[in-house]
Amino acid sequence: MSLLAPAAAVLGVTLPVIVALYFLKIRRPTRIVPALHLWPNQIRDRQANVPWQRLRPSWLLLLQLLAAAFLVAAALQPALPAGAALARHTLILVDSSASMQATDVKPSRLAEAKRQAAALIDQLGPQDRMTLIGVGPSARVLASVTGDHDTLHHALDALAVSNGAADLSSALALAAGLVRPGDDAKAYLFSDGIIEPLRASLSTGLPFALEYHRVGISGENVGLTSLTVRTSAQSRAAYLHLQNFGQQSHPVSLEWRADGRLLDLRPLTLAAGQGQDLVLPIPGDATAVTARLAGSDLFALDDVATAVARTPRAFRVLLVTPGNVFLEQALRLRSDLQVDVVAPAAYRASAAYAMTIFDRFTPAAMPDGPTLIVDPPAGSSVAGGAAIGIGRVRAADAADPLLANVDLQDVHIARSQDLRTSAFGRPLITSLQTPLVMVRDEPVRQALFGFDIHESDLPLRIAFPILVENLSEWMLPPSVPSRSFHPDEPVTVVPDAGATAVSVIRPDGSRRALTAGSISTFADTDPAGLYTVEQTIGGKVQPSWFTVNLFTDSISQLKPPDRLTLPPTRPTAVQATHPGQLEIWPWIALAALGIIAAEWLAFHRGL
Amino acid sequence: MAVPLLEPALLRRLEALALQVRRAVSGQMGGERRSRRRGQSVEFADFRSYTPGDDYRLIDWNAYARLDRFMLRLFVAEEELPLSIFVDLSGSMDWGTPNKAETARRLAGAIAYVALSALDRVRLTVFAEGPTSGGAPYRGRRAAGELFARLQSFPVGGPTNYARLVWPIGRQRPGMTVIISDALGEPGIDEALSAVQRAHQEGAVLQLLAPQEMTPDWAGDARLKDAESGAEREFTATPLTQAAYVRALTQRSEDVERLAHRRGLRYARLSTAQPIDQMVQLTLRQIGLLG
Repeated sequence: MSLLAPAAAVLGVTLPVIVALYFLKIRRPTRIVPALHLWPNQIRDRQANVPWQRLRPSWLLLLQLLAAAFLVAAALQPALPAGAALARHTLILVDSSASMQATDVKPSRLAEAKRQAAALIDQLGPQDRMTLIGVGPSARVLASVTGDHDTLHHALDALAVSNGAADLSSALALAAGLVRPGDDAKAYLFSDGIIEPLRASLSTGLPFALEYHRVGISGENVGLTSLTVRTSAQSRAAYLHLQNFGQQSHPVSLEWRADGRLLDLRPLTLAAGQGQDLVLPIPGDATAVTARLAGSDLFALDDVATAVARTPRAFRVLLVTPGNVFLEQALRLRSDLQVDVVAPAAYRASAAYAMTIFDRFTPAAMPDGPTLIVDPPAGSSVAGGAAIGIGRVRAADAADPLLANVDLQDVHIARSQDLRTSAFGRPLITSLQTPLVMVRDEPVRQALFGFDIHESDLPLRIAFPILVENLSEWMLPPSVPSRSFHPDEPVTVVPDAGATAVSVIRPDGSRRALTAGSISTFADTDPAGLYTVEQTIGGKVQPSWFTVNLFTDSISQLKPPDRLTLPPTRPTAVQATHPGQLEIWPWIALAALGIIAAEWLAFHRGL
Repeated sequence: MAVPLLEPALLRRLEALALQVRRAVSGQMGGERRSRRRGQSVEFADFRSYTPGDDYRLIDWNAYARLDRFMLRLFVAEEELPLSIFVDLSGSMDWGTPNKAETARRLAGAIAYVALSALDRVRLTVFAEGPTSGGAPYRGRRAAGELFARLQSFPVGGPTNYARLVWPIGRQRPGMTVIISDALGEPGIDEALSAVQRAHQEGAVLQLLAPQEMTPDWAGDARLKDAESGAEREFTATPLTQAAYVRALTQRSEDVERLAHRRGLRYARLSTAQPIDQMVQLTLRQIGLLG
């Protein structure tokens, strides 16, 4: 046992003082009574009658000395050695990600993790320091290098669960930054092990030892893993996938609602590991559709899914071409584009079109809006030099987001205009001979294909519609994407021209205002559900929607992994641990209170 | 100038009272009490045949005319009542406000005056550690002044010893005995009460207490000193200990009352806060001692 406040031993002087008080003479007034024998017989003196008389045994004195001794003992803050081996600087990482909401351990995985972390805090010695880090979608320092138990407990209590994934890499990097070289540090991770893959940068090792405490046992969960609404010319339908991630069969009840109105309710039974796709027609006027699994399971977050059902606002696009079915079909794949096709001879400049595509044709005057130019005829201001044969096709910058998911491996191009000397912009797709596709941002976003797509096998590859979609979204970004986001995933909101106010209404009804004049990133997307973006344009409010759903199989899978591969500890890390301490002074203080109560009782009972 | 024991106005009111006896008494001299003997009074008792030597004035001539026999009319003899008053003047009586001993003197004086007014014979005894006679029996209203002076002359103090009352009580002729005391002395008063019963005395125990001892008005640390023995004890008064004292005092009073009733005696618990007038005219009437 050790004493956390040995200086409090000075208070031990109270014991002899109490005894001395019993020695001290007190002046008692003499009262003559007619019959002394009628007065209750108080056996022992409460105080001495003469100075330095022999100390007589007294229950009161004994109880007072005991109470004082216990209080002094409590002030010394004695501590017993506890189970854990603590370092001088202990880092506690508590997983607060979505999967920690699971209730397979009562009341929840997060509560259990907090309980275990609190036990460690209680064992902290007077010289020890502790740092608390919450591991959610982002790592957050809850309490930094402190030995104050109250601060640590309050910070731990304040940790709330999030709906996002656990970014352990950021948390470990943050923890590593808080440990100075040569520090005696050790980290404890309280988690269910369901985390985002660790970054490669951590493979160099951590400056502290890391101990993983698994929280959670079960993976029995049925969840909704995707919900989309597809619109065809004839109908609109919601497509749902639900999955039983557990090892047992689960009967569930699925409820469909459109804008709160019940559409359908059906019982289902999913065998162990079974997935099921469901399609439900939805009314044409519905704004959002919600699927909900009724009944309680271990994890509620993936029991609800919401999708935006209303077709986003469409852009009018003009394709000026002598005939290009590939380009036309690729453009029509984007549901929010309304494509008009005209022959070059019939082209008239019009402000009604948000984007114009010129195929093997260029007008005398280019429109003001975004433009895609394919194989401009010779003599055009953007035309390149004479056609040259093209060898291997490659990306100018493979990391360019405009080429995301665009596979150019099997793409071949017969010939292309020579764009080497073109001042159009930067090359996007190039070859050994010449740049093939160029893009520029100024004065407006434009793209230039130096070749006739009929003279390549690009339109026959999956890369073509993706490239067209990437380019069209770059040139005509939807102001608000209507798809589903993951919790805590940032959403980019591009206000429409003329929008004077932009705000986002969250599923709980709270409203967040965004800057109207510029592109905003809205990151307050932890709650799942339907988000409404309201733009005020010309005094009218135009709503648009996006949703936030878990839709992450690795989280819904819920089963804590048996082993968690953690970054290694650097060989240089100091590992000099000592036993933790369990403070017992609250119990001693409680005992002192009991003795004081007994003393009070004894006094009034006249013992 | 000495303060008179009882005010003249009070004395005048006392003259209207008389001691109440439950049975006839036998005194040595004629008085106003019914006697067991037939005597001269206005209250008819019986007839009996005339025998020579009887007072011929008592012959009922109407009966002679009817029966042709001399019949004597017998009347209830009215005799004096021997009243003995025992006044406790021990140390414990010299306590309280108003003082218990002073009140006891005044109460004894008042009862004695009632008796003297009715031509009863009054014997006064004060006691503490032992009994002290208050002189020859007093008779007649004129003796009241002497009795009062004697009452006032006795000092107060010393321990109480009820056992030593047994002899003076036992040698009395049947009559009435009144003991005025706080009845707090140890050992208890029962032996004296038993002697009263054995002496065929009617009587009463008047327990006189001061208001301060019935409800203690102090708290805290004190050195308690017994008024009689001088014994001392450290004491810390709390509401609980005060309540325990009051319980003990009440228990003692109830014990004395129970013992008195068992010996056929009347009992009254009196507070020195009560005026003598009220004690005599109200309390002593209620218990049937005066009427």
